[in-house]
Amino acid sequence: MAPGTINSIIDRVVPRSAFALGVVRSIVHGIFLISILFTSFSALGSLPPTILRPTGVMKFLPWGFYDQLQTPSGILILKTLMVLSLVLSMIGLGTVISTKTSLLLVLFYQGLLRSFGHFNHDEMIAVYFLVVLAFVPCGDEFSIDSWIRKGIEQRPAFAYAYPILLMQLLLAWVYFSSALIKLRVAGLKYLSQDNLPALAIFHSLDNLHDTSFRVAFWLPQVKQYLPFAVAFVLIWELLFPLAIFWQRIRWWILGIGVIFHIATLFVMNIFFPHQLAMYLIFVNWEPRIKRIWKSRISAEQNK
Amino acid sequence: MIISKLTSFLPQSERRIFVKYAILTIALFVPLLWAFLFVRNLYPVAVWNVMMAGGDLERGRSYCILRGETVSGETVEIAPILLTDALYSRTWTMVNATIDNQSFKLKSIHPANEEMLQRYGGIENLPPGARVPDLLKVWGELYNLRQPESSPNRLKTIRLDMYRWESGRYSDYDKFVTSWRQEL
Repeated sequence: MAPGTINSIIDRVVPRSAFALGVVRSIVHGIFLISILFTSFSALGSLPPTILRPTGVMKFLPWGFYDQLQTPSGILILKTLMVLSLVLSMIGLGTVISTKTSLLLVLFYQGLLRSFGHFNHDEMIAVYFLVVLAFVPCGDEFSIDSWIRKGIEQRPAFAYAYPILLMQLLLAWVYFSSALIKLRVAGLKYLSQDNLPALAIFHSLDNLHDTSFRVAFWLPQVKQYLPFAVAFVLIWELLFPLAIFWQRIRWWILGIGVIFHIATLFVMNIFFPHQLAMYLIFVNWEPRIKRIWKSRISAEQNK
Repeated sequence: MIISKLTSFLPQSERRIFVKYAILTIALFVPLLWAFLFVRNLYPVAVWNVMMAGGDLERGRSYCILRGETVSGETVEIAPILLTDALYSRTWTMVNATIDNQSFKLKSIHPANEEMLQRYGGIENLPPGARVPDLLKVWGELYNLRQPESSPNRLKTIRLDMYRWESGRYSDYDKFVTSWRQEL
């Protein structure tokens, strides 16, 4: 695709300002920061390294390292480093460095969690957003860096708009590829009446899942209608990329996504909060935040 | 050469950014396409294969419930997600993998697991869930840490009960299989 074509697509679909990209940086790093602040690392650090099964690149680290990490002091160091780095990258201080250190630390932490459990996908899209943000000028506005260095060099609008488009494409890929893979692996069998009830009941039997809702046990009573619901979700996943390019249906597609993820919590006791939070990159934050600032300033002047 | 032709109409400043972003896009999407084609997760490269096989009513499934016995003699259900919250959605697979002794089946095994394997004389002699008691001990201690010293709700033992849904029909979900128990 020629650069001219890309530019004209970008013009239509994503905000083209350093401010908008800066807000996205704050949101993505901020979500990881909140999630880490509210997680008990002392509990994580007490899990025995003997049940670890390092996954992917985590296999390159020696057992001695994991033995040191899975101790109260080791895990506290990891949490402290992550919190410091994420605070800096969220507020945009030393952004060029802090976005990269945040990426490395979160990537390691997420790998550690997956080495205990399985390769679940909730946080993965947000990790990919961290990759994008680590290599783009996301601190040129809406950052302490830009406040300190008032005359930060502004780049062409494309430099700020394309990263947002790339993140939207990555999120669309998550759903689109998920639908394709279901059709590839299970084929039309995926639309069988027993697919959803059998899966949902299995995920509702133990007490090891996110929640313990029992809605799944009601599904066999309505199983003749469920293939339509499953087909609807598959079609929605396949159509997700339209949310990028067609503004008119964007909010419908994202709205269905919110309902879908909340439904999986009640029906399957599985929730993807990080992935859901990443829908926020579809919002054009610049006019909204500037409107709030203006109304605050005018309210202060009227006092 | 190709890049310079493609970007020749752009000013120098934009050309550098265009090339940089092209590399970033390729670096992200090529591994993702590879993972998609081979349906393989290789951290941090992910394929979104969640629930890809769908549910099969004919297939039996095993599942576990974590319980504790308090000092007052009561049996309580314990949600481990409240104890090790970092793992949330991954808790049930961590338990399944521990029951299946998967940490003993790696190419590079933890030295303590290596030693245990030697003691048992190989993986085939290892009992299922050889490391489950270690996990139960951690969960039991974390649970008790949240109770006052004198509380009757403190646990004296913690256990993991395994059940099986033989399946084929929507009933008989809880055929007892086995249990792992740890005194605290």
